Amino acid sequence: MPGLRLLHSPLFPFKSIRSSISFAFSCLILASIAATALFSYRLAVDAVQRNSQSYVEGIIQQVGARIQSYVDNMENISLLAMSNKDVKYYISDNTFIGPEERLPYEKRISDLFQSILYTRKDIASIMVFGYNGRYVSDRRITTLNPNVKLEDQAWYRNAREAGGKSVLSAPHVQNLIKGEYRWVVSLSRELKSTDGITAEGIFLVDLNLSVIDDICRQINLGKKGYVFIADPEGNIVYHPQQQLIYSNLLSEPIDDVVRAPSGSSFLSGGRGDKRMYSVQDAGFGWRIVGVAYTDELIADAGTIRQTVTAYALVGLAVSLLLSFLLSHRLTRPIKKLQADMRLVEKGNFDIQTEIGQRNEIGQLGRAFNLMVSRIRDLMQEIIRTQENKRKNELQLLQAQINPHFLYNTLDSIVWMAEQKQHEEVVLMTSALAKLFRAGITKDQELVPIRVEAEHISNYLLIQKMRYHDKLDYSIDIQESIYACKTLKILLQPFVENAIYHGIRNRPDIGHIAIRGREENGRVVFEIEDDGVGMTPEQLSRIWTPEEEIRRRGIGIQNVNERIRLFFGGDYGVRIRSEPGAGTLVTLTIPKLG
Amino acid sequence: MRKSRYTAALIVILLAAVFYGAYLLKAFTVSVPPTRNVTVVLKSLNVRSDYWQTVNGGAQAAAKQAGAAIELAGPLQETDGDAQIQAIEEAIQRKPQAMVIAPFNDERMPDLIRRIRQAGIRLVIIDTPLGVEPHPPFVGHDHVEAGRLAGRKAAELTGGRPRVAVMTDFSASAVSLQRKQGVLHELSEYPDSLYGTYSADDSEERAYDIAKSLLREEPDFNAFIALSQNTTLGVARALQDTGYEGTVKLVGFDGSVSEIQMLEDGALNAMIVQKPFNMGYLGVKTALDELAGKRVEDAYIESTLVTRDNLYEPEIQKLLFPFIQNP
Repeated sequence: MPGLRLLHSPLFPFKSIRSSISFAFSCLILASIAATALFSYRLAVDAVQRNSQSYVEGIIQQVGARIQSYVDNMENISLLAMSNKDVKYYISDNTFIGPEERLPYEKRISDLFQSILYTRKDIASIMVFGYNGRYVSDRRITTLNPNVKLEDQAWYRNAREAGGKSVLSAPHVQNLIKGEYRWVVSLSRELKSTDGITAEGIFLVDLNLSVIDDICRQINLGKKGYVFIADPEGNIVYHPQQQLIYSNLLSEPIDDVVRAPSGSSFLSGGRGDKRMYSVQDAGFGWRIVGVAYTDELIADAGTIRQTVTAYALVGLAVSLLLSFLLSHRLTRPIKKLQADMRLVEKGNFDIQTEIGQRNEIGQLGRAFNLMVSRIRDLMQEIIRTQENKRKNELQLLQAQINPHFLYNTLDSIVWMAEQKQHEEVVLMTSALAKLFRAGITKDQELVPIRVEAEHISNYLLIQKMRYHDKLDYSIDIQESIYACKTLKILLQPFVENAIYHGIRNRPDIGHIAIRGREENGRVVFEIEDDGVGMTPEQLSRIWTPEEEIRRRGIGIQNVNERIRLFFGGDYGVRIRSEPGAGTLVTLTIPKLG
Repeated sequence: MRKSRYTAALIVILLAAVFYGAYLLKAFTVSVPPTRNVTVVLKSLNVRSDYWQTVNGGAQAAAKQAGAAIELAGPLQETDGDAQIQAIEEAIQRKPQAMVIAPFNDERMPDLIRRIRQAGIRLVIIDTPLGVEPHPPFVGHDHVEAGRLAGRKAAELTGGRPRVAVMTDFSASAVSLQRKQGVLHELSEYPDSLYGTYSADDSEERAYDIAKSLLREEPDFNAFIALSQNTTLGVARALQDTGYEGTVKLVGFDGSVSEIQMLEDGALNAMIVQKPFNMGYLGVKTALDELAGKRVEDAYIESTLVTRDNLYEPEIQKLLFPFIQNP
């Protein structure tokens, strides 16, 4: 029973069941409510986080789409230029005769570029460079920065290497035109001749970086959130705080960004600045990365936490109250029973506890009531038995020193003395002395059968001397049972009865036979007389106590009760009698010793 | 009624445990910090002042990163010391949690600093150190180190045998003095390397004139170090006009567009560029750290050497062209 041991362990240092139950309940409730609250908080926060994650992902997708649309637009412009006959002719190997022939071409191309630029505010400049050294821009007069070598420019080199495919550069400062320094993103592309094989020049479209910058800055990812762009190699293409990156004041988990699949998110950063990175691939090889601070995304976390805590506290208070009430209800009948038991302890056996319930405690109460009433009965019985016993002893004492018997015996002695029967006087007096000594001096109830036999023979001797012509007797007790114990003065009342009621009323001499023997492990005494005997009515009367009282002797009933009290119900007195045929009394006692 | 007393005690203990648990739950979670606010007082709010606009940019970046509110104050012109004093006084009235100040050297400044401190406002000084005690946290450029960088570059450009004419701006300017100190310290490692120091009062014209007069006779030196933007431009122009560009090397300071063109043209061989963005960023960050109870220390920002070779590296581009301007 581990539960019981638990209840006894130092964990439950309570003396009352109620406190233990309350404590156990409270612990259980506390634990389960804490667990529930924690789980629901986590679930709620997770849900909010998932929502904001998909929100951020959606935004980043839009950013990607918007940038893509600008890039697509640049691409379209480049296609327009590629398919333009003037451009093709201008940068082809044709030799112009003179500036008169060349200028109209330049003007037409420049006009075309200008008209494109007119409709697109996002485009910074459009230029075409022929491998033949000619170039045209969207301006009428283009003064190139003399210190810039085209071949050194990344957009130029990369376009040549890409061989006809458009190339998008990282944001850079475009210093092609003298005195102009602009942040742009360049899309460049090698132009082919009509045969589609010979490369003839490079076409360049510059997109104002401010366009992308605006797109990224307009994004609302919380107060602190931002968007940056990386290329697949892990270089940061665009970052709103690029200077911090360069100064190592800010770093991005660029490896994770490169590794993360497009459209996914991951968390980075420690406590306090946990950030969620949402990665989205744009078509031209850029990765748009949205960074949102989780503490801003989950602004509700505090509210959720407070709500959950409040509910948990209310639930806790209610269930604690319930647990106390419940334990009170459970233990109240036990306490009542305990109080009643205390009364019983003090000796009040008239208590009957109230039985309210039909459960185990009710059964306990019922059993208690039963037990108390049984104890009460037994106590009364013991009191009665003790009274009887004392009465018996008194009567026994009376029987021993029956005054009539004493007077009569003394009368006989006097009479014998007058007759000068000295020997008889001596005999009778000594018998009388022995008789009384046997009865008075011995305190104990049980005596050896030998003593009892001596006693009865002394008694009979005296009676024989008194009624010598009327009484004859024989004592036949097996010697083997002499050492066994018997109640003292057991036989005398029956011998007395036999003499006074049986023999004395006979005209001639009567005979009393006393026998003692062992029979089936018991000792059986028989007192048989051949006196007048009894009618069944007389026989039944001698069993009643009134008769005995009237006669002031020890009643048959009394002896029977003595035997039963001492040795139990299996033993006792049996009387068989017929009028005119005498009486046989059989006493049965256990063989002791 | 012993038992009911026990029960009552039990209830009290359990409720205490519950509330303690709730308290722990709260304590363990990241509490959203109360909005911190910082006032930044610059020397100029002029949008044409690239330097101060960049400082502002860095300050804004730091505030955004920390989610703090930032307020900007200062005079419109970089010469208006009174306006700055007034701006600081107004800022004290608003009682921000912290102030970041790029102070003018003004005798009223120590008193103002004391009042700021009395108002319980955290203070960080940027750009120009102030001689007040106790000394507030300072974030600025290491001008001595920048001067040494210039001296080192001049020695390298002249093949280890520098003979340098140093063109200073105001002789009273603390920045200029520190730069000069760095330059001289570095040059002292080479024998007979200092040709002379000339004060041009931060005027491009004066620098042009001085340089031209130095170059008129056969020059007995092989390099110029000009300690400010204006003197750099004056010397560069003088070199171009006298045809000594490339022959006599020039190491200048700051990174204006004109200087970049000079660099591209070859009249300017190298320039030392500051990082005002970092100064603004670190200034505000230091103030926020101080508010958060962290230990803060003075921060000295190194300058960067820009030559024609690294001019268009992305890092340098971002430094020289801090703003993505709309056309």
